[in-house]
Amino acid sequence: MSCSTEEKTLQPGDYKTDLKPVWCPGCGDFGVLTALYRAMAEKQLEPWNSVVISGIGCSSRLPGYVSTYGFNSVHGRALTLALGTKLSRPELNVIAVGGDGDGFAIGGNHFMHAARRNLDIAYIVMDNEIYGLTKGQVAPTTPTGDKTKSTYWGNPEPSLDPCELAVCVGATWVGRGFSGDMKSLVDLMTRAITHRGFSFLNVMSPCVTWRGDDQFKVLKAKLAKIPETHDRTSRAAALAYTREVDVMTTGVLYEIEQPTLVDRMTEIKERARKGRPEATTAEVIQGFYSPF
Amino acid sequence: MAGQSRKELTIAMVGSGGDGVVTMGDLMAQAAAREGLHLIKTEAYGPQIRGGESSCTVRWSTIPIHAQGDTIDVMVAFGWGDLERFRGELVPSSNAIVLCEEADPVSLDEMKNAMPEGTRWISVPFARLAKEALGSGPGKNVVTLGLVSELFGLPVATLRRAIDHRFARKGEDVRESNLRAFDSGVAAAQSIESAGSIGPADRLVWSPGKPKILLSGNEATAIGALHAGCRFFAGYPITPSSEILHFLAEWLPRYGGTAVQTEDELAAIGAVIGASFAGVKSMTATSGPGLSLMTEMLGLASMTEVPTVIVNVQRGGPSTGLPTKSEQSDLWQALYGTHGDAPRVVLACSDVEDSFHTTVEAFNISEEFQIPVIVLSDQSISGRRETLSADGFDHEVIDRFLPPEDELEMYERYKDTVSGVSPMSIPGMKGGTYQTNGLEHDEAGRPSSMFLTHEKMNAKRYRKLWPIRDRYRHVHRIGPEDAEIGILCWGSSKGPVEEAVERAIGRGEKVAAFVPRVLYPFPKKELETFLAHIRKFLVIDLSYSAQFYKYLRTFLTLPEEGTHVFKRSGGKNLTVVEIEEEIAKIMKHHRLETSEVLA
Repeated sequence: MSCSTEEKTLQPGDYKTDLKPVWCPGCGDFGVLTALYRAMAEKQLEPWNSVVISGIGCSSRLPGYVSTYGFNSVHGRALTLALGTKLSRPELNVIAVGGDGDGFAIGGNHFMHAARRNLDIAYIVMDNEIYGLTKGQVAPTTPTGDKTKSTYWGNPEPSLDPCELAVCVGATWVGRGFSGDMKSLVDLMTRAITHRGFSFLNVMSPCVTWRGDDQFKVLKAKLAKIPETHDRTSRAAALAYTREVDVMTTGVLYEIEQPTLVDRMTEIKERARKGRPEATTAEVIQGFYSPF
Repeated sequence: MAGQSRKELTIAMVGSGGDGVVTMGDLMAQAAAREGLHLIKTEAYGPQIRGGESSCTVRWSTIPIHAQGDTIDVMVAFGWGDLERFRGELVPSSNAIVLCEEADPVSLDEMKNAMPEGTRWISVPFARLAKEALGSGPGKNVVTLGLVSELFGLPVATLRRAIDHRFARKGEDVRESNLRAFDSGVAAAQSIESAGSIGPADRLVWSPGKPKILLSGNEATAIGALHAGCRFFAGYPITPSSEILHFLAEWLPRYGGTAVQTEDELAAIGAVIGASFAGVKSMTATSGPGLSLMTEMLGLASMTEVPTVIVNVQRGGPSTGLPTKSEQSDLWQALYGTHGDAPRVVLACSDVEDSFHTTVEAFNISEEFQIPVIVLSDQSISGRRETLSADGFDHEVIDRFLPPEDELEMYERYKDTVSGVSPMSIPGMKGGTYQTNGLEHDEAGRPSSMFLTHEKMNAKRYRKLWPIRDRYRHVHRIGPEDAEIGILCWGSSKGPVEEAVERAIGRGEKVAAFVPRVLYPFPKKELETFLAHIRKFLVIDLSYSAQFYKYLRTFLTLPEEGTHVFKRSGGKNLTVVEIEEEIAKIMKHHRLETSEVLA
């Protein structure tokens, strides 16, 4: 990721726009937004060389509140736009954001493939275990049995652990955070942005409106820090911290180095060009004469 | 055909997998290109991935041609059973020559029953000749190539060079045995000729000209994209558009660009919008089912005013439909697909060379007016190969206008301007940062659900269509100014219509055709001028529900008296003969039965 080599001239406040968030008072997403401002300042990301891309949902409103280039696109498709932006302009800092429904339900297929490709972006999900914008329906991360607007008799489906999925489908950096733990969250975001490759940060971000006051308390009570001794390069060790029931371990679960999609595309361009200048229409047309 | 010599000759070769009919067609097309002759090659397949029946038709000509050749002069049938599967698609001319396999399990009498009287028959031991020349293995096609080229006056020496070149890389043995096979075919022709069934009038008479290039519609589209400055392509494989993905995957890196195969069409168009947002000219290509998925983000491109080029190579629909056959039934999808009021531009290409120009125009319009542009091609253009002069492959390129730095003070991405086009900054431009939105937004890009904002911004986005309508009035107009019969058609129908009009003019009939290249916004003034003298109207529609006719009716009143709509399903390419029949019908009295087309 490209960033200024000068002194830390960009402050967290420099990343704010004059748009007031539409979120409900007490929403976890405020914490995520603040952490993002701080992490971007920590990395001194130049706003004009950075792009924040989202899909649809409460949390997907976030790009409007960040003074970089921003794109609040359509439901589930943030990562598809991020693919085009990063591949066409690899020098840009690309951050995708969104919610759990956006990322793991309607956008689940894109999540898998962005991770598999090791697309060099940071993907930050605000996981509130519910559909907030549409007023309280079940999400892929809603615990089994929970009553929501669309599961009157309780959620009949097992829930998904996004971190487990990310490790399994090829993400090279996977972390879990909590919007109520600002210090750790800024650190996690900074590391996610720093990582070369697809970094996935799932932030538990309570929804006071549709998950009640309890959600924050329940999550906070389950919170545990990942031990210093955790081997972040071990897939098995990372997976051991997924599908937890009574605890929620936060921190960097998984971190490996792999060539990124941009690395591989750059290599292809070099191999195709062999030091030659850019091809021309005349050169392409020439190849369509009979070869004898 | 009467007369001493032939100016053109259409040959169809039919077989099953392994017979190599497509290779025969390729070699003929390369030889024709080398000799500067006009040639159009089409292929048709059954639905099998490998094997199964396949046909390859080549139309040779010494004068310019526009259609694939709808009656067959020479039919090579390696297997009668395979030929039967193309019944209704391969139509023999009145005195066609059929070369059939001597050892075919179907008897000659049975074959004769299936073909018109006047057909001339030649039984050829294809398999035996190949075995004699090669010992074993395939090679029937190469023997037959020698035989056919000698019998019908094709450039034998050049074809021999084509074979030499093709098999050289497979080793000396393979090369020699194939040349031997070709020579034995040439030799076998002499005994057939002496039998007297084929005369000088069956032979193509030609002289060599400046070498031409040999190109398919999909290749021309891809070259158009490269020429226009496209440096990012995302696509998902789908018949019959995949060759565009293949071609750009090879060539874009040579231009420093990127091609990526995405997980689905949603991701393809999403990536294109993401790349174009970042300032790089971008395109995707698909066919009907993919366009259905893309309509979601077609609306996003329209709403956020991000230049986006979508090539849709039509095939038979709905649903999976006829993946390998042509149709013009995605018109409404292109014109109206996606929810809400979403302005877009729809262009149509009419042949291989036009695919190049139309694609460049699509980029020019899209980049200048920040609007999605759909190019409608179809399988009959995308899959056929034509010999063409290389001179035609140039076209003016318009680049995106980036606001200068001083204009970035108090920058508003969606500033409401007279033309409707607002300054578009790209990432990297300090002072140009903005946050865009698929939500309705104000001039600064901030979300808004206010009625007044929505009305104003809708008007701004639609206003862009006016300068496009003024500047891009491209139509193909064929025939005399004072024509009384006017044909209205679009896209690939142009080729057969053009030939039908030429023939009609030859007979002294006053027929002309109007083929819009811009389908939306429609060049209405040009249409009005065209219609000034027209008394009778013929609408050609390769869509069962007559989508083009119904679209015309949204802005054009066609009188019931004197209007005739020829509409049918795709699945078979439009032929010159079909259009001639419809012209003949309308020459007599014709009254439109609206119930026929307004089901």
